[in-house]
Amino acid sequence: MPIHEKNLIRPEDIKTHDELVLDGVDVSGHWSTFIETRVVKDYNENLQEEIAALPGGEEIHRCWQCGSCTNACTVNAINPDFNPRYWIYLIRMGYESELLRDKDIIWQCVSCNKCTYACPRDVFPEGVMKATAHWLELKGHTSKSPSTHFDEIFTEQIVATGKIEESRTIRRFFTRTGQALMQPWLIEMTKRMLRGLPIGLLTRMGLATFVAPRTSDWSKASAAIQEYIDEQHDKHEQALSLAQLVETAKQDVAA
Amino acid sequence: MPSSWRLQSKTWLPKGFEMSTTKDKYKKVAYYPGCALEGTGHAYNRSTKAVGKKLGLDLVEVENWNCCGAMEVKNIDPKIQTYLSSRVMSTAANEMDMDVVMAPCNGCYHNLKKAEYDLANDDESVAVVDKLSQKAGHKTYESGQVETIHALDWIKDTIGEEGLKARVKNSLEGIKVANYYGCMYTRPRHIFPEKDQGPGSESTSKPHFMDDLLAAAGAENVDFPLKTACCGGAHTLSDSDTSTKLVLNILKAAKMSGADVIATECPTCHSGLEMHQIRAEKVFGEKVEMKILYFTQLLGMALGLKPRKVGVHENVSDSIQFLKEKGLA
Repeated sequence: MPIHEKNLIRPEDIKTHDELVLDGVDVSGHWSTFIETRVVKDYNENLQEEIAALPGGEEIHRCWQCGSCTNACTVNAINPDFNPRYWIYLIRMGYESELLRDKDIIWQCVSCNKCTYACPRDVFPEGVMKATAHWLELKGHTSKSPSTHFDEIFTEQIVATGKIEESRTIRRFFTRTGQALMQPWLIEMTKRMLRGLPIGLLTRMGLATFVAPRTSDWSKASAAIQEYIDEQHDKHEQALSLAQLVETAKQDVAA
Repeated sequence: MPSSWRLQSKTWLPKGFEMSTTKDKYKKVAYYPGCALEGTGHAYNRSTKAVGKKLGLDLVEVENWNCCGAMEVKNIDPKIQTYLSSRVMSTAANEMDMDVVMAPCNGCYHNLKKAEYDLANDDESVAVVDKLSQKAGHKTYESGQVETIHALDWIKDTIGEEGLKARVKNSLEGIKVANYYGCMYTRPRHIFPEKDQGPGSESTSKPHFMDDLLAAAGAENVDFPLKTACCGGAHTLSDSDTSTKLVLNILKAAKMSGADVIATECPTCHSGLEMHQIRAEKVFGEKVEMKILYFTQLLGMALGLKPRKVGVHENVSDSIQFLKEKGLA
């Protein structure tokens, strides 16, 4: 497979003119195109440090832009706009506004770790993708992605009981993201599952929806984990100077 | 996260690690089923236990286990996942006095391996795990106390291909199998120090343990290019369209390589392949029918167990008719 590269000229930046004559030369039509000038003015000089302060992003400084991550990427194969190499470049250069153009797809990383496997510099690109998605949400550039909702529901359940009961997680996820639980394909799947009438399995899963399976003596561990999560959350807020961000926003509103 | 493992002068190996062909210590292992095997992956739980019993291997379930953190907790904080996995290993080592933990679920296996790597190489992780363990009131897990293995290692290193051949009652002859390993069994490479160690060890780029075991049981392994492709299991609900596309790739590749069955070794892959097969039909209008079976189900039937005993009826994909034709049911 060839190394995928990114076309830096975006279709929306290309200008064609139906009728244009410059210095006596007819330049109308598609054969001679003009590209909209791009001037990057709003650097975020701290962008790399901010990403590196979030879990997973620590090793971003090691990248030498070989493109192995993008070449190996599962999601890139279905969506060429999903380009980890390019995003790492943007983050290291501080091109925040450019990064934000792709803000709605960065969370789609499926954590298959092919990039981490291929990376010759141990950047852990999978972690960088997660840190970037997390950064976008913390900074308020995107709302919480379905993936983050799922992670949160999952972690909440582990903190509460120590174990996962799948039907509960699925129901909570659909409720929190405002989707109907009765999706035609889910109904079809349940129907096919019932065909074999696995009575033991059905009883167990049915009971589990009423009484959640739990790890006993979990309360102390649960409290310790929750405390750690809160601690880390405060740390991340500080690293990204979110309090300052809120303050500036308030002043803007007041003005 | 520890600094570059590639730049370390020696290849990292866990304490007390030795490469050998017969591993008697795997004959009695602490069994860590994990959450999925008590829910949607129940057939895997059932078939693993049945195969273990048939082969005379001892499984002692880890007492009062907790979730390893799956794919989700690490996105909230990776060190919480390290702690959760370390608690399981701590229970096995300190309360049950076991040397080996066997996890059939790829996710659990991966997380336990990753926790082991982090605790051996990263002081910050050790400090966090120690603090959390003390607060939770159990002994802190120290790296090297237990060895984590997959169900594949467990059968391959105790019974082996020759042993399996001698025990086969109903050969899987005539069944064309595409072996699907998924992501978490081989990636990233550095958390699996025992892999890629030359002949006899598992390969991270072209895994072959499942192929070996099923071939020993008589099955015909097809040349399947997407062995370690991703099924999108992490986003199976949060980004279903992506997952469906990825699963369709896998199903089509298996069809094209002439397989009757995809053999799986992970409850998330298994339910993903079954679920998105139906979703592709309902939402995308693309129907690719493929039978999905856990490798332990195939092995169990080869060893003479009835399909019901290995939970074939609990699968969503219907393979009973096919198994009857092949003389296994």
